[in-house]
Amino acid sequence: MDKLTDYRYTMKSCNSCGQCRFILGPMMKGWEYAEICPIHLRYRWDACSGQGLINIAQELLDGELDYEDGLIEHIYTCTTCGACDINCKSVRDMEVMDTILALRARCVEDGRGPLPPHQEQARYIEAHHNIFGEPHEERSDWLQEGIKLSEKADVAYFAGCATAYKHPDIARNTVRILNAGGLDFQVLHDEYCCGAPLWRTGQVEAARKLAEHNTEVFRENGIRTVVTACAECYGTFRGFYPRIAPPDFEVVHISEVVQRMLRADRLKLKGKLDIKVTYHDPCLLGRLSEPYVPWHGEIKSFGYHEPPKTWRRGTHGVYESPREVLKAIPGLELVEMTRHAENAFCCGGGGGVPAAFPDFALWTAAERLDEAKSTGANAVVSACPWCESAFQNAIDADKSTLQYHDFTGLVVRALEL
Amino acid sequence: MRAAEAVLRFREGVARFLKADSIVDDARTLESYNRDISFVKGGRARLLVYPQNREDVRGIVRAASKNKVPLVPVSSGPPHYRGDTVPSADAVIVDFSRMKRIIRIDPVSRYAVLEPGVTYGQLVPELRRQGFKLVMPLLPRANKSVVTSRLEREPGLIPKYQYDYLDPLLTLEVVYGTGDDFRTGSASGPGTPETLKADGVNPWGPGVLDFFRFVSGAQGTMGLVTRAATKVEVLPSLEELFFITSGDVRPLVEAMNRLLRKRVVDECLALNGANLAAILAESLPQDFAELKKDLPPWTLLVGLAGYQRRPEERIAIMERYLREICGELGLKARPSLPGGGGREKKVTELLSGPWRSEPYWKLRQKDACHDIFFLTTLSKVPEFVGVMRGAAERHGYPFEDIGGYLQPMVQGRGCHVEFSIPCGKDETARVKDFFIEASETLINEGAFFSRPYGPWADMVYGRDGEGAAALKKLKAIFDPDNILNPGRLCFREGGRG
Amino acid sequence: MEKVMSLPKEVYQALLKVVGPENIADRPHILAALRHTNPQSGRQPPSPAAVIMPGSVEEVREIVRICNRHGVRYNAVVSMFGMGGVVSQPGMLVISLRRMNRIIEINEFDRYAVIEPAVRQVQLKAEVFKRGLTYPTASAGPSCSVLANFLTSGDHHTQQSSSRCSRYLLGYEWVTPTGEIVRVGSLAHGAGWFCPDGPGPSLRGLVRGYGGWGGGLGIVTRIAIGLDDWKGPRVLTTQGHSPDYKIPFPPDCHRVFIFKFPTLEKVRDAMTEMGKAEIGQAVLKFFYATEAVLFTVSANDFRDLWNSGLYQRELPRALWVYLAAWTPEELAYEERVMRDIVEEFGGEPVDASITRKYEENMDFFILVSFLQRVLKLGGGWSPTKLGADSIHHMFEVAAAIPEFFYDFIEKGRILDAPHNFQVIPMEYGHAAHIELLFFFDNQRPDWQQIPAEVMQKSMESDIRHGFHAATPPRVKAVMERLGPLYSNFQVWTNKIKETFDPNNVSNPGPG
Ligand SMILES: Cc1cc2nc3c(=O)[nH]c(=O)nc-3n(C[C@H](O)[C@H](O)[C@H](O)COP(=O)(O)OP(=O)(O)OC[C@H]3O[C@@H](n4cnc5c(N)ncnc54)[C@H](O)[C@@H]3O)c2cc1C
Ligand code: SF4
Ligand code: SF4
Repeated sequence: MDKLTDYRYTMKSCNSCGQCRFILGPMMKGWEYAEICPIHLRYRWDACSGQGLINIAQELLDGELDYEDGLIEHIYTCTTCGACDINCKSVRDMEVMDTILALRARCVEDGRGPLPPHQEQARYIEAHHNIFGEPHEERSDWLQEGIKLSEKADVAYFAGCATAYKHPDIARNTVRILNAGGLDFQVLHDEYCCGAPLWRTGQVEAARKLAEHNTEVFRENGIRTVVTACAECYGTFRGFYPRIAPPDFEVVHISEVVQRMLRADRLKLKGKLDIKVTYHDPCLLGRLSEPYVPWHGEIKSFGYHEPPKTWRRGTHGVYESPREVLKAIPGLELVEMTRHAENAFCCGGGGGVPAAFPDFALWTAAERLDEAKSTGANAVVSACPWCESAFQNAIDADKSTLQYHDFTGLVVRALEL
Repeated sequence: MRAAEAVLRFREGVARFLKADSIVDDARTLESYNRDISFVKGGRARLLVYPQNREDVRGIVRAASKNKVPLVPVSSGPPHYRGDTVPSADAVIVDFSRMKRIIRIDPVSRYAVLEPGVTYGQLVPELRRQGFKLVMPLLPRANKSVVTSRLEREPGLIPKYQYDYLDPLLTLEVVYGTGDDFRTGSASGPGTPETLKADGVNPWGPGVLDFFRFVSGAQGTMGLVTRAATKVEVLPSLEELFFITSGDVRPLVEAMNRLLRKRVVDECLALNGANLAAILAESLPQDFAELKKDLPPWTLLVGLAGYQRRPEERIAIMERYLREICGELGLKARPSLPGGGGREKKVTELLSGPWRSEPYWKLRQKDACHDIFFLTTLSKVPEFVGVMRGAAERHGYPFEDIGGYLQPMVQGRGCHVEFSIPCGKDETARVKDFFIEASETLINEGAFFSRPYGPWADMVYGRDGEGAAALKKLKAIFDPDNILNPGRLCFREGGRG
Repeated sequence: MEKVMSLPKEVYQALLKVVGPENIADRPHILAALRHTNPQSGRQPPSPAAVIMPGSVEEVREIVRICNRHGVRYNAVVSMFGMGGVVSQPGMLVISLRRMNRIIEINEFDRYAVIEPAVRQVQLKAEVFKRGLTYPTASAGPSCSVLANFLTSGDHHTQQSSSRCSRYLLGYEWVTPTGEIVRVGSLAHGAGWFCPDGPGPSLRGLVRGYGGWGGGLGIVTRIAIGLDDWKGPRVLTTQGHSPDYKIPFPPDCHRVFIFKFPTLEKVRDAMTEMGKAEIGQAVLKFFYATEAVLFTVSANDFRDLWNSGLYQRELPRALWVYLAAWTPEELAYEERVMRDIVEEFGGEPVDASITRKYEENMDFFILVSFLQRVLKLGGGWSPTKLGADSIHHMFEVAAAIPEFFYDFIEKGRILDAPHNFQVIPMEYGHAAHIELLFFFDNQRPDWQQIPAEVMQKSMESDIRHGFHAATPPRVKAVMERLGPLYSNFQVWTNKIKETFDPNNVSNPGPG
């Protein structure tokens, strides 16, 4: 597993250029919505940014900074959305996100992190394999009559904690779509939390155990492909699991599945939905979803990486498939926010922020909804249960007229299932 | 020390290095410096000195500093209009007219280095001979100093060449009130002017200050300039002048804005009938009166140019843009000047050089002429023309008799507006009232008197205490003994601001 | 942690009263982001004592007054992209202007925009484009503060048809080092923002010269900048995803050409002639290694490209021309003039793959979105020279670069790229800017000494030859040493500093 010391080069290379807080130049649209780091937009200190966090990491590593009051909270306000990372990597060979995650891991290793709500989540996971402390036996309670499962299939639908316990509609919609498209799949009753909440809060040893468990379950059941409708699960399978061991399964998001089915004429979107929507790219489905490829080597003169390194710059995130599908729904008009695709602004739902800093999470979601509204859309669509919680909370708090739809819900309606 | 005694000591000091004929105390000659055409009155010229080079100037300033003698620098020949060369107290006149060497005309990097006594009459033909053109103010008198005209930020006829209000001035060699000499921008160094290889065309700095700006618009109060570099432009091989007329300034302002925004035109200025008649009249007063009657209220003059390469092609494209823009505004660009009696050629000739005949065109109607000029944005020009008209009406002065000149500056991001009020001997008091009241009204309405000569200084600085305080701090640095043209701008005891 | 020198309690409390507790901090971890070692200069700045974020000019004034009363040294900062570092002495107060980020006005007719300090290039550029306007945009990256750039540097790729940013700085609002609010130029006279000069002598000369004060003469809270017409698209039609964006422009009115010439003198002469003919939105002799860094994504890609030798073969004596026009006919005319000139001086097109990069990434000429890539070789990148004079003089300077440069190359301390300088004409060739860039290997143990040593040798060479290839920096010791060679400018600069900042509190500079 990577360590904070692996990111010395990143720490040394940063020149405070500030790109990690602003939208990328080619995407510029105007004064509004030009910032992309939630903590920087809210608190404004340089320390509240990818740059600030890697500066802090360096000082901690060098013993120039103590675990003083407020430091741990500071480190944990970040939503780990990775906007800083992708922006920095548009121009630099640096690993901002991984440095922040390694910094959190270091805090945990030093017995200083994470924050109490994250520790509680870890305890729940330890005891019940889900983040909410709900009974493990109820994990598949969302499954309804009439869904066709195939025990022999090498495809599994992985619901994830948030979907299974808080947003069962997403799970139900997902399996209905799979059935409609004629894809054979299993539901694994022994799936555990994917590990995202632990990984993103620095509790990497606990996360490793979950990864090992789930990988083992996939192996035992002959699973070669894991389908998920949760961005956090998707990004964790691709971004975290390879840090433990080379994965022997493929992960696909439901939007990719639908896209393929539509292209193969295995699904038909007939139902007309007269609605104008804007699509929010979840961080771990979009810019942070590229597969992690371990790199061990040496950085030589002039930054040359020996052997060459595979960078995750957010180029190949899942951006097109949800859009292609949404655009195929009759009557649906898709409009883009200024900050979209790899430049998307976080919903505030990640990185353990909702548990530790619910007000800030709410503020972040509200900022994003404001942008969604500015497009003239009457609904925001995303493809992740965590985004759904974040947005729904903000909509409720603000009594906003904007609606939230999960991707799968709209597809099911258009399929007239 | 009494003034006379101080001047005497000063004279002894400078006599050590100035030639005898460079020191003049003849009363009649001195008398001619005591007033000009403006309303400014003041002290007396006690002595006149003619420096020949930088070392002379340094010596003069040192002697003045030692003896606390005010110095009033003069570079252009008479008549003067603005009151800035009228001594405010008993003073020594430093006349630069004998420092009139054209030090260099550089055809490759397109600049000229001049001493302050070089005049438009001298420089323009020389440049033309070498294939270059100077961006001119509107018909300056031939004996006007090119350097001081540029130092005073006078507007030029070709706004597209101007990137800020100091453009086309490049670098300066200046002697401060301490007697220290200094070179600005890339003329500063490293090393001496003899060892420095730079051309001196980068006006900024050295370092973190734009030194050339402190001396600009200063009416000689911040330092005496002994040498300056100015841009020169390629002489077009093909030029065409067009006239766009209108009863109202508004559409013309719109046209200027669009033409300059796209940088279609070279020369770009608007004149009213009175000014155009004063410029074009062959004889006075009949021809003038007829022309004034026949010429449209406002005429926009625009020049198209082709340079050394494919000039016809360039002109053809620019002419197309010109016509398109005029078309959009319902205007017509004509090669002929309606009401001008076929004098288009004369306009072209006149605009390319200084005014050479006597009297000066502004003095053709009456003995004197008082100019009110200020800066504003193009969008506000019509409003200020209205304000001036109102003031003229209040004072019973026929508005049509007032010369009107609109000169866009800095690529059209600003505009110099100038009203010239001819004034007969018998109407001085009346015109003075009008002049003062109109100036005050314009300032109150937001006209920017960026070069506050004479009575404007108090009006302007009285409104800007913080700015005046900052300027005084600068003055104390560059002229700690207050010997350089004291009493001007905000630099006088009891002055407002 | 001992390294933070803190402010006296009563000072902190007084400051806190001005901005409220949310907007002031002195905890070491908040300050960590302000004292990071700069990979470009190798310098580690001292820690500030605190950082404060005012929200208005009045708050700035109050803060500055408190600093004067208590002798607290301060410096203003926006985005920290500058090369100089914001904290020059231990115990300073950093005044971060990030909350002051509004665009106050964009006047389309009179062509100016009024902005606060924290408006970024990426914001203003898009707003003025929408209105068919543009402004000289320094190649300082999208997140750089427009105001800070206009106050400090401001050289960019399209200076041929415009100028350095400093020419476009109009009226401004300034909190003096002692805490007075001064509005400069027409602004002070209720006449609007359009003119910075006058009445009388121009106070515009105080706020910056060739370079800027780096916060050493008070704080500018608003500026107006001049706008030019924009011939390109009002909204960018960007394709692809980071970092592989493509930003093409309509080719019938926008074209890029790169020509190689037999000698540098020919490049110079062709450049001069294009100025006289008044053609080209941009004309420049660009950096060849920097270009290779800009147009590759990773350090490895760069090495592969550089080692291929293509750029060394094609670009050491090349001229880049970007033509932009209102109509295809105008473009065709400019192209004909350009080709006449190129032919006259023996130029020929370079390998098409190089030119294509520009045509696909036209943001190079408008914002340089990917500018920070120059730092991707670990951050070991630095500029020197950075001066201006005539085109001819700049090429004379360039010809002498090998005298001191090869020593660094031969010792392996900098990248072997002896022609990595740019000359950009401005105002159609009336002057030009030179910049020599070097990439140094910051994996070497002596990396922190390299930038200063190269700059030192470069300066020595200029002085030896009598070249005006740089303006002396505002570093006290350097100014004192070099000032006498530059007309004793340090005497006047110091006097102005002492007069306007009697307590020496506004970024006094190192030492
Ligand atoms: C890789 C790289 C390439 C660059 N290329 C170019 C280039 O091609 N052209 C160019 O022009 N520049 C270039 N720069 C430098 C760039 O100009 C500066 O970084 C930028 O202008 C400074 O802006 P900033 O937003 O970083 O401001 P800051 O770093 O916040 O400020 C810069 C300086 O201005 C002072 N300052 C900030 N705000 C104020 C204020 N309101 N009042 C008074 N003083 C203030 C600060 O004290 C500081 O010293 C480059 C820099 C880098 C790192
Ligand atoms: S982390 Fe990257 S983007 Fe952010 S300031 Fe540092 S170098 Fe720039
Ligand atoms: S991960 Fe997101 S919230 Fe955290 S520093 Fe980066 S951009 Fe900001």
